Amino acid sequence: MKSRALAERLSIPGGDIAVKVIAGLVIAVLWQVLVGALAPAYVAKPIGILAAIPKVLASAAFLKAAWSTLSAVLEGLAIAIVVGTAVGLVVGRIRTAERAMGFYISALYAMPMVAVLPLVTLWFGYTNGARMALVVFAAFFSIAINVADGARAVPPEHLEVARSYRARWPQIWLGIALPASLPYLLAGIRLAAGRALIAAIVAEFFISLEGLGFYILFNSRTFHHDDAFVAVLVLAFFGIGVEVAMNWATRRFMPWYRRERRD
Amino acid sequence: MRKEPFWQRWLVPALSLAAGLGLWEFLGSRTSAAFLSTFSATMRRLAALVRSGEFTDALAQSLALFVAGFLLAAVVAVPTGLLLARMRVLRVALEPYIMALYATPMAALTPFILSMMGFGFAPKVVVVYLFAIFPILYNTIEGARSVRPELIEVARSFRSSEWRLWRDVMIPYTLPFALTGIRQGIGRGLVGMVVAEFFLSASGIGRLIIVSERDFDTAGVLAAIIVISVLGALLMGLGRMLENRFAAWRGIAR
Repeated sequence: MKSRALAERLSIPGGDIAVKVIAGLVIAVLWQVLVGALAPAYVAKPIGILAAIPKVLASAAFLKAAWSTLSAVLEGLAIAIVVGTAVGLVVGRIRTAERAMGFYISALYAMPMVAVLPLVTLWFGYTNGARMALVVFAAFFSIAINVADGARAVPPEHLEVARSYRARWPQIWLGIALPASLPYLLAGIRLAAGRALIAAIVAEFFISLEGLGFYILFNSRTFHHDDAFVAVLVLAFFGIGVEVAMNWATRRFMPWYRRERRD
Repeated sequence: MRKEPFWQRWLVPALSLAAGLGLWEFLGSRTSAAFLSTFSATMRRLAALVRSGEFTDALAQSLALFVAGFLLAAVVAVPTGLLLARMRVLRVALEPYIMALYATPMAALTPFILSMMGFGFAPKVVVVYLFAIFPILYNTIEGARSVRPELIEVARSFRSSEWRLWRDVMIPYTLPFALTGIRQGIGRGLVGMVVAEFFLSASGIGRLIIVSERDFDTAGVLAAIIVISVLGALLMGLGRMLENRFAAWRGIAR
């Protein structure tokens, strides 16, 4: 009860936005002061990062790096979405297929994907292809697993009605199973995007490949932490952007979907 | 629902596994050993690693790293999540930042940790901690936020003390969500463990993978990857078991 009273007393006029902004400022000030007092001078601090933003965003090297990483992530995600949806539908709708492939998918999903990076470099060389392979590998399984969940959860009444009207299998698959799995697909994309970003960054560290990951690695090694942190912000915005877009799309286009999470 | 026939439940997976291993063996025998070693060579390599003791050391190092980082994350995140759930102002204030960090790829922070903390055990624990903490925090807050207000109202009408309210309503209600976070945290923590072992001071299974790769010892790489996959499957299975054990009442929980 006491904490409720405290909460009420602390509630600030101007609403939640003001509280969030104030909290952000408090965090920034604490960061600036504490890091300034305790850490070596090169460590990134809010003022330095703010000052670095225009310079970094205007530099051609940074833009090239950002394009390289983000386009690789988007391309890998697109591949994973197409193939993962197809595999997920098959595994979710056909019991035999699930028995044959399900355990491969869950096992590969549970393994920390970066572990295969050295293997991927053996196969693809120290190239863009290796990064792409790791991104697809990281993204594919969350999508396949989620779509399979969705395809399995199709309401049986829908299938019964479809069968009573002698629907053909393409109509059942594309007209019923696929739409019913869409919210699961979006949830899968949320997870996949996060994993794909990690995969791309880690691959760039490992391969020394042009991109935001390597930009961070290079600049933090040469003690340009403020510049490197701008790249972290760009990656964070990308991650948050996907999260927000997927949540929005679920609410906007699938209002019937009861939210349920799976990772 | 009709009972699943035996052949489909057991025969199909067995055949599929055999086909997969057979294909691996076949492809491995057709290419150079540095490109892809066969399944049998990988198993022999694994056995050799186990016999030499190299494997046990690596596994112990990796597990120590994972457990230290993950426990630290859980011990910090669960109480913080509950606290934020009860203190509305704090939750409103911090939620967007926690959500943002949840969506940020923590791997991007490893170079900073490397350059600030250098090599050693502590910076690697920090990496695992950072990977694991935000899913736990995020899910715990989500769960605590969804405690039905009627429950709290009823508890309060019966003059429940704050402590009883936590014990009888908040904690039991939030637990399943926290466990979902813990399962996600295990998954991400494992990724953090491998990242830390690759890019900070090489150690454990991660080091085994890198060293084998440099020697073009593909059988060694594959053996270590198999070990890490089994470790991942076991830990994730543990997380799922905990979740099912305590989340049964959540109905749709899986």
